[in-house]
Formats: sequence, structure tokens, C-alpha cells
Amino acid sequence: MASTNRFDAIVIGSGVSGGFAAKELTEKGLRVLMLDRGAMVEHGEGYTYDGKPAYEVPARNIMPKALVESDYFIARHGYVAPSNQKFYNDDRLNPYAYDEGEKFYWIRPGAVGGKSLIWGRWSFRWAPADFEANKRDGIDGEWPIGYDDVAPWYKYVENYIGVSGSRENLPYLPDSEFMPPVPMNVAEQWLKGRLESKFPGRKLIHTRLSNITEDKPDQNRTKCQFRNQCGNGCSFGAYFSTQAVTLPAARATGRLTLQSDAVVTNLEYDTARKRVTGVRYVDSKTGQAQVVNADLVFLCASAMASTQIMMNSRPAGSGQSYFDRSGTLGRYVMDHIFRVGVEGDIPGMTDLIEYGRRPGGVYIPKFRNIDGAENVGFKRGYGYQGSAFRNPAAPVGFGASMKQGMRGYAPWRFSMGAFGECLPYKDNRVSLHANKVDRFGVPLMRFDVTFRENELRMMADARTQGEAMLRGAGLTNVTSSEGEHVPGDAIHEMGGARMGRDPGASVLNGWNQAHEASNLYVTDGAQMASASCVNPSLTFMALTARAADHAVRQMKHA
Amino acid sequence: MALIDRRTALAGVVALFGTGVFAPIARAAGAAQASKIPVISEGPPSVAVFTPAQRALMTALSDRVIPTTDTPGAIAAGVPAFLEKLLADWGSPDDRVPILDGLAAIEARSLKDYRVSAAQATPAQQDALLTLAMNDQLPKGATFFEAFRQLVITGYYTSEIGITQEREYLPVPGEYNGAFPYSKVNKVYSA
Repeated sequence: MASTNRFDAIVIGSGVSGGFAAKELTEKGLRVLMLDRGAMVEHGEGYTYDGKPAYEVPARNIMPKALVESDYFIARHGYVAPSNQKFYNDDRLNPYAYDEGEKFYWIRPGAVGGKSLIWGRWSFRWAPADFEANKRDGIDGEWPIGYDDVAPWYKYVENYIGVSGSRENLPYLPDSEFMPPVPMNVAEQWLKGRLESKFPGRKLIHTRLSNITEDKPDQNRTKCQFRNQCGNGCSFGAYFSTQAVTLPAARATGRLTLQSDAVVTNLEYDTARKRVTGVRYVDSKTGQAQVVNADLVFLCASAMASTQIMMNSRPAGSGQSYFDRSGTLGRYVMDHIFRVGVEGDIPGMTDLIEYGRRPGGVYIPKFRNIDGAENVGFKRGYGYQGSAFRNPAAPVGFGASMKQGMRGYAPWRFSMGAFGECLPYKDNRVSLHANKVDRFGVPLMRFDVTFRENELRMMADARTQGEAMLRGAGLTNVTSSEGEHVPGDAIHEMGGARMGRDPGASVLNGWNQAHEASNLYVTDGAQMASASCVNPSLTFMALTARAADHAVRQMKHA
Repeated sequence: MALIDRRTALAGVVALFGTGVFAPIARAAGAAQASKIPVISEGPPSVAVFTPAQRALMTALSDRVIPTTDTPGAIAAGVPAFLEKLLADWGSPDDRVPILDGLAAIEARSLKDYRVSAAQATPAQQDALLTLAMNDQLPKGATFFEAFRQLVITGYYTSEIGITQEREYLPVPGEYNGAFPYSKVNKVYSA
């Protein structure tokens, strides 16, 4: 066991949260060790298939079936492809207790940068009402912070990373500091006009994306080139990733040490002083374990992985985590409910097509329960992400006529999917498996998380309303679908170590500190006490920057 | 993740394999040693999917599905090799069945109608045989036709010829124009 005091802080994880923690802490003068369980991927040179057409990617960039079934049977739900395979977890090597408990897709990354390399990049502020929702609805889990606490950090993060979007002045979806939006196409503009006039109060707006639409020369980043190959890694640095944005900033301070292939198993804890005293990790290449020390620890391993690490931090022979005095660790796990799709043909404009490939589309923000509880049969709301596009014409017959026909396009098609807010339920929980461990000796995660009546009613409404809106706007061939709703599928998992004022009912305080260890900050999705219905990563980044500021002020104060 | 990525990602796979591909899920855990992560098979097919006669017929039919016109056809684009490689190593063994069944049915019909092996039939005769399959007038004909045509289309439009000649390829578009006149290109832009 090596012991070291070379570092002022240890950051566990290098995704959107860990990367931001490393940047903020190093820039504030701390010597930081960042650990990530994944393999190293360097910006640019690590993006093996960036810019490659399908014929230059193995298997024409279609994941071979046998490989999916053996090693990527969960990652397949996260859209793994040969061009980005190394960014994903290998589900065979790193399993969880999938066949026990409730069905859950735990879609994990496998490289430094975490999900920041492969995320959807949609970036929204939460609204004041989102932070107030649990209290307003009388639901267990009042947030200890409000919008005003986070707003300056949203602004700070947005200005740094670059977020494209349009100013809309919607109280239920606050504007960010925006770069110009990714344009709507002609069919979306048509739909916007029809939908907004036919359904007063409902909006169809530009997506809000971490793809930049103006260069950031100070960060050596070039604006989006409209290739829509983000998931392969972008050498232009046009979307936010740890590699493109926060890692270079942290490295530039000269105070960052990055250790890849480092699987954190647990935290060591001094019960008397109520402090985390060490971080134990296993080098996945050598199998060697060691403990590293620092005065400050930022746990940013992802909502579920951070929860697992905390649960596995416990006295020998005990099932009770040091950080679970409240009995809430591992509980109130959420994901956005997903898999209602609605689509239809947009008439006309058949002489026009798209030039360039956008990395985003359009958004219909939530319109249910905006001003408090409405009589719609469920709490909270949902938004739709969608886009209008033209597919190549479908093949007819075969031969020269088919080939010629496929030089044309099908009509404009609009397709959208709903993302709904999941309520926090105490019994939606994860736990450590009683007797199965992984190759690093960590008990497997067991998931007992299900969507419930409120979520299912919300999805039914999203389907009905989606059809009504598209039909009402004048689309034809409108169809809808509802797939299996599996928690984790939206890859917006949250909760497990929620914030709260009461140490008896939450794991973290309003500054992201563990109630049981003031030098442990948890700033990823685990902290969330509710889920909103908008994509969460921007909020994780803002809360991470806020927590880092707090941590350094506390250290200087001490 | 954003829906648009999900749609893009799903479109290709579902089109090729259908929706019925789900892995057996239960996985033994335990502190097993890390085994090696499999790599995607490249190079020649690891098993011969076709007999020489079947290969000759599959090759000929692929070029009837996408013939040379003002751009090269399926053979020039390497579709037959792609198709055999996919069936050998990238698809599942089940995917071979409708293709082999269909080739057998076409061969039998060719011998009956034209007294010649289908690979040696004239292009017009091969077209007639494919039409019978398309219209399900051969045993399991429509099943074969749909699967075979989809494989040829996938192989062709993911080939260099398909992406850069038959379609228009923009490696770095640099901008987005959502109201671009089709008449300026008269082709489909590659994804």
C-alpha cells in the first residue's frame, strides 16, 4: 500500500462532472489526482474513426451481432458502434446483477472522459420550479438549494463550454448564455408556425446544445462543422467533452495528474474525525491495489458508480456504508422515462433538402403542470426532442429503376420522442449484491428500480398529445409508438445519494458535501433529489463548479 | 443522450437486422479473471458461407439488384465480398438461412425454366427469377428477396463507390442549410 500526500485533492471520475472538478480545483491552485477506470483517450489522436466514412470503419460501422451479444449487450442500448466501441464499457468484463432485481440498463463508458465523449449534448438549465417541485407537490426530498444558488454557475459554465440555442424567455425553461442556435430546417420552421398557432402556450424551439457555433480560439476549439459524427470524438473540439475542454484547462495549470485504468473500489474513512482519509483503487492492467490520500475528495464516478463506491465504503464485515447514517444511500434512483415516439410526414417543400448534418434538432418544452398541479392525471411533465429530416427514398423493386429512385428523397418526416420526469421513490433503489463480486472484488450492483403509475400515465399523455399536435399541425401519416420503459435507457440516471437539509433523510448537504464527511463532495447525478424532465448534464457541471468553489474556500478558511 | 443520435444509430441496425435481436441477458459474474476483449473480425470470411456455385449466383444477383448504370454497380463496389463476410462473421448464422434457401429456390427454378444454372442465365432471365422471388412465387421467395436486397443495399451504400459516387459525400460540410435545393445536387447526400 503506497501512501502519498502529493495531492491536495483526488477527483474520482473524468466525465462532465469529474473533468469540471479537475479544472476548477487545479485552476484554484490545488494539486489534483484524477482517477478514471477507463483507458486513456487523448483529444484528437485518440479518436480513431473521427471523420472516417463507413467503408473505413470495421464492419462498415455495424456492430457484429456476436460481439453485441457477448460483450455489449447493455451498451447496445447506448448506441455503441465499431467507430466508438472503445468509449464504451465491456458488459462481460464489468457486469452488474442484471438478471436479478428489476430490469435496468446501466449504460457505462469505458474510457477517460466518461460519457462526455458519447453524450447527446443537449444542455438545458433547470427552472426555479424544478428545484421547488418536490416541496410543492408534497413529495419527500425537498432540495436544499434553489435556482438562484445555481444560476451564476450555469452562467459561468455556459460561457466556458459554449452552448448554442435561442433566447425564448420561458419561465419554465430559463435561457442560457447562448451562442447562435443550430438552424432549424424549412420543415421545422413550418411546423413551428403551425403548432404554436394551433396550440397556444406550446412552443417548438431550437435545441440547446453543447456544440459551439462560434470558434473558441482561446480553447483551440473550432465551431461545429455539421458532420454529426460527434460520438466518434471530434477533433475540432466542437462539442463539450472532458478531452476538448476541461482536461486541457486542468493540464495547463501543471497541477493535474491523471491516472487512467484506475478502478476505485472504496473510500477509507476515519470515524472519529468524520473524514475520508484515502481512496483505494485497483490498477485494471496489473491488478495491483493502492490507497492514495488527499485532504479533499470529489466523487464524480457517475450517479450509479458513485453510489456503488459509497455503499462499498464500510467497516469490515458490515453492510452499512460510512455515508449511510440516514438509510437513504442507494435510494430515490431516477431516470427519465423514454420510448414514446411520434412521427409524421410534413407536406410540401419537396424541392428542398438538408445540406450538412446537424448534431441536434428541435425541442418542444414541457407544457404540463407548468404553474402548479393541473388536473391531467399525473405530476410533473415531459418534453419532446425531435427533428425533421428527409430519408432517401425507400427501394422499390430492384435494378436500375430502384437505384435511380433511391437518388431521390422521401417526403419531409418529423420524428420526436418524449422524455418525462420520474418522481423520486424511496423504494427505487440500488444495493450491493450479497455474494457476487466483480473482478476487482467489488460487490455487483443490484438494481430494483421501476417506473410507476405516475410515469406511465405521463407517457400515455405524451403519446396522445404528440399525435394530437402533429395531426393538428397538418402532418399526415402520423404514427406513434410506445416501447418498453426500462430505467437507465435514457442514460439520465440520477439519485442514490441525494442532497437534502436533513442528515437523517439525505446523503449530501446543499454544497454537495457528504453529511458524514465534510471533505467528500459528490457532484454527479447521484446528488439529484428530483429529475426535472430536461437533460441533466449542464446542471451537474454547474453544481460541480459551485461545489469546487465552496471546497476551496473551506480549505482556505481552515 | 439526444433522440436524434438514437434515431440515427437505430436506423442502420434495425434496417439491416430487424428488431428481433436481443442478447441473452443473464450473465455469470464472480471474480473471474479478465478475459480478452474480442475484436471485430476482419480479413477473409472465417467460414465459407457459399459453395462456389452459390457464390457465383449471389454475385450475379447482387449486380442485378444494383447494376452498373452511370455509376458502378454492386460487383464493382465489392458487395459480394461484403455480403459473404457479413454472413460469415458479422451477422448471426440464422441470417444465412433465408439467403441460402432463396438461392436454392432460384437455382431450381432456373434449371426448370431455362435448363441452365442461374449463375449462367442471361441477365434478363436472372431478373425474371428475382421478380418471381420478389413476388413470393418461389418457395420463401419474398423472405429471400427482402433480406438479400437489404444486404445488397447496405453493402453498396456503405461502400466507397456508394458513398462517394452514387451518393454525394460531404466529409466536412462546414455549414447547415435546411432549405437547400435538391436540383443543385440531384443526388442523396451520404449520411
